[in-house]
Amino acid sequence: MVRQGKLLEVKDLQKNYGKKNNITKALNGVSFDILLGEFLGIMGPSGSGKTTLLNCIATIIKPTSGCVLLKGENISAFDSKDLAEYRGSRIGYLFQDFALLDNLTGQENILLPLSIHGVDFAKARAKLDELADFLEITDILNKFPAQMSGGQKQRVAAARSLISDPDIVLADEPTGALDTRSARNLMNKLEGINRNSGRTILMVTHDPNAASFCSRILFIQDGVVFHELRRKQEESREEFYERILQLLAQLGGGSANVF
Amino acid sequence: MFSRLIYRNAKRSRKENLIYFATLVTAVASFYIILSLGKQNVILFLKQFESDAIDKLLAQIPIVYIFALFLLFFLILFANQYQLNRRSKEFGLYLMLGMRKKRLVLQLLAEGFMTSIFALIGGIFIGVFLAEIISLTVSKLVGQGIIGHQLSLSVGAIFFTIIGFLFIQFSALIILGGRLFNREIHQLLYEQMDNKQDMGHIKGNVLHILVGSVLLGVAYWIALYRLTDFAGLTLFVTLALGSLGTILFMRGFGKLLGLWASMSEHKSTKGLHTFTLRQFQENIANRSTSVAVTSILITLSIILIANGASTILSLENLYSRDASVYDFTVDGDSQKVEQFLTSEKMEPYVEDLNFLKIGRMKHQDEQKEEDRPSPLVDWSKLREQLIMALPSEQKEQFLSGEMQGYSISSENPEALNLLGVLEIDAATPYLIPESSYNGLLEAIGEKPLNLHSDEIALYFNPDLVPIDQLDRMPVLDHILKKANKEGQSLMSIHDQAIDIRSSIPMRGLVADRSVKIFSAFIVPDPMFEQLSESYNSYWNFRIPQKMQEQQGLMKPMMEVRDILKSSGFQFESYLQNFGRQLFYVVAGSYTILYMGFLFLIIACTVLALQFLTQMKQTGQRYLTLSMLGAKRNQMKKSMYKQVLWTFLLPMSLACVSGSVGIRAMILFVIINFEDEPLLYPIAFTFACFVIVVVAIYGVAVARSADHEIDKLRWKPNID
Repeated sequence: MVRQGKLLEVKDLQKNYGKKNNITKALNGVSFDILLGEFLGIMGPSGSGKTTLLNCIATIIKPTSGCVLLKGENISAFDSKDLAEYRGSRIGYLFQDFALLDNLTGQENILLPLSIHGVDFAKARAKLDELADFLEITDILNKFPAQMSGGQKQRVAAARSLISDPDIVLADEPTGALDTRSARNLMNKLEGINRNSGRTILMVTHDPNAASFCSRILFIQDGVVFHELRRKQEESREEFYERILQLLAQLGGGSANVF
Repeated sequence: MFSRLIYRNAKRSRKENLIYFATLVTAVASFYIILSLGKQNVILFLKQFESDAIDKLLAQIPIVYIFALFLLFFLILFANQYQLNRRSKEFGLYLMLGMRKKRLVLQLLAEGFMTSIFALIGGIFIGVFLAEIISLTVSKLVGQGIIGHQLSLSVGAIFFTIIGFLFIQFSALIILGGRLFNREIHQLLYEQMDNKQDMGHIKGNVLHILVGSVLLGVAYWIALYRLTDFAGLTLFVTLALGSLGTILFMRGFGKLLGLWASMSEHKSTKGLHTFTLRQFQENIANRSTSVAVTSILITLSIILIANGASTILSLENLYSRDASVYDFTVDGDSQKVEQFLTSEKMEPYVEDLNFLKIGRMKHQDEQKEEDRPSPLVDWSKLREQLIMALPSEQKEQFLSGEMQGYSISSENPEALNLLGVLEIDAATPYLIPESSYNGLLEAIGEKPLNLHSDEIALYFNPDLVPIDQLDRMPVLDHILKKANKEGQSLMSIHDQAIDIRSSIPMRGLVADRSVKIFSAFIVPDPMFEQLSESYNSYWNFRIPQKMQEQQGLMKPMMEVRDILKSSGFQFESYLQNFGRQLFYVVAGSYTILYMGFLFLIIACTVLALQFLTQMKQTGQRYLTLSMLGAKRNQMKKSMYKQVLWTFLLPMSLACVSGSVGIRAMILFVIINFEDEPLLYPIAFTFACFVIVVVAIYGVAVARSADHEIDKLRWKPNID
């Protein structure tokens, strides 16, 4: 694992919903850094603000205050035109529901970010082959999503999030719609990508199992980061998983039940 | 509570789905326009002197109405289906909250009724407005101010419009409500585009395109070369083959678009090219039949509109009174008529009063013993010359006796027509005294004939015998000139050689049709007295030029008509002729153009609603695109392209089929385009009309889709 400097800095991020008398503070001053090559997990109960956090980083919503710096640039202050340039090229996304276009073939789906940003296909050919090979989707590149299994769909979506060599991949519950086997397979692949090519990944999840693939996990609740777990150098994934479960139990018995 | 919900939902339907509401309004307006035909100024005007024919036409209106009802039913059904699809999630929610299905369907009907009332108000308003405009335009085109305008609001039309519209609206809602009734809540809540991405085998699709093209080709060939075979039955074969060909072609084409998408790899990373293509493909392939149907409808509408427009062109002929000179012809005791026409009451209306006598030539003296009286005229030499002047092919047919009868038509060479006419008449020709014809010549500003005592002129009736130029008959003149040079006489009467005057200006002898003769001999007055047994006489006159300039032709004509009616004399006027022609033009073009535009509107609405349905069902895709970095205007550009292609595909095939159809109509003289000065303006106007209608729909769809994209906001789902 190569660790260089800070890739992403989140500084005192606040996001309020609602108007004057009825304000919900979804994020209440969240600060943390993501280092280059890190696989960071974010866990928290429902309503804790983890998706809001991800969306702020993803530039999908604007924070009320605070900022997000990607390689030193304040992306939360960008206007929509600059943001469009960022999305899909410097940030890759992985969604719980895959978000594949069902009238496009696997390959067309994977290449979509490149088309949108006007990148020449010839240059991406090798990259596509490499990704398809690694994610074991070479056989289904010409199939439509309806003809794929859930796991295959999510791996195609993963290839799409990686095709344009983004600085960071943001994954929102990527295993949420998958069965255990497919979920583990996907997480193995993501971990492999993180390890082999040093790709930085930020993943929001409920699932302690999926979270155990991360190198560091932030726990947030009521809009603030309140705990952090790091995977130790020699620690196995199973051991890390045990620690996560322990922490969740201490916090109040399961992810969805913390009041 | 319930009623407020109904009211609010109905209001929302109108606001949110303008195309749906506009479709309903269009349907209402269409009903009103066809039903109010009887109240149109022109028709009211024509009723005064062509009431039988008009009544016959008006009796046809229910048929057109029912046909329109039938067509618009499908339109309404489609529009409602689209509207209900849009709201299926909402219905699912109602059911989840415990509303009973029966109640839901009832609510739908109530909402439909509410919307219908607004559609009826808007539609009738627009219908009345359009009917007024049509009425005024037609009176302006036709009447030059003579046809008085009156508000064409027709209570009967409104009544039947309401009945008809409510009937189809409720039939559609009941059918769709029944379907809704049988749906599961899950289906309603999670309605999605069919996930069928089955694009079939390439071979099969190529086969579809090939078979489709061949069928279309055969249909075109029949249309162009064999349309009138088997008593026109081939027309139906053509329609069937053409429709089937279009359907197969579209089916294969839609699916093969995918091949194109995957083949154009170098383009596949250019913007949203692949996405656009796939969206288009999905729209076409999954609904190829209805796309094909819209294409067929547009084809029909192009053909119908061309036909209707060409009928309007013949409006020109209404005023080109090339051959007709007189405005009125009065029958009756000649002295009494003369007295009446020169009376104080009539005098201001009468110009170029002329007394026309037409007699028939006697036979040889009856004493001859043969049964059949032999004619006084011997025109065998003229006949010979005319035969010699025939084109060689017909000359042979004629000489060999192959040619048995004559048909007199504008396609025949002049010599053949003359020969035919003379064969009919020359044995006992009609006779017109020179003085009568001179009166006519004077009226049109020509010199009198001044025939010699042994000279005659040949008269051919331009209403019945096609004559290229009213003042000249080149073939006849050539023959006469040649004979004159050689000192040869081509005709004799009573064994006496007769000279024939070279061609003279031909005009109609009376105002309308009371004299139905093909040809006559114009003879010097003494000869007329000598040769004719008995004669008919007519008083002809024209409305003074000055009066026409001041008041137009129609107004004084109507006044004269009223005076003459009260006098009790038999008379006829140019009005009848005019009315007859006007009637055919108006009735013909009105119904044909109406059907044409109805087809066009239906086709456009279907295309529009189909596109928007797809847009609605696949809106999520645009969200994904924006997550992947697509800019809003990039997506809008892609969407505009989709709209453009969706309209262009059926349009372009329809344009090809339509032009073949128009060509066929020209070839088989169903429509007639000659060197009309109005041809290009009218063709241009109607082409513009069609393009504007399609463009309006295209823009409306693009705007709705725009709105749909704008509505897509990323809403964080708080988990």
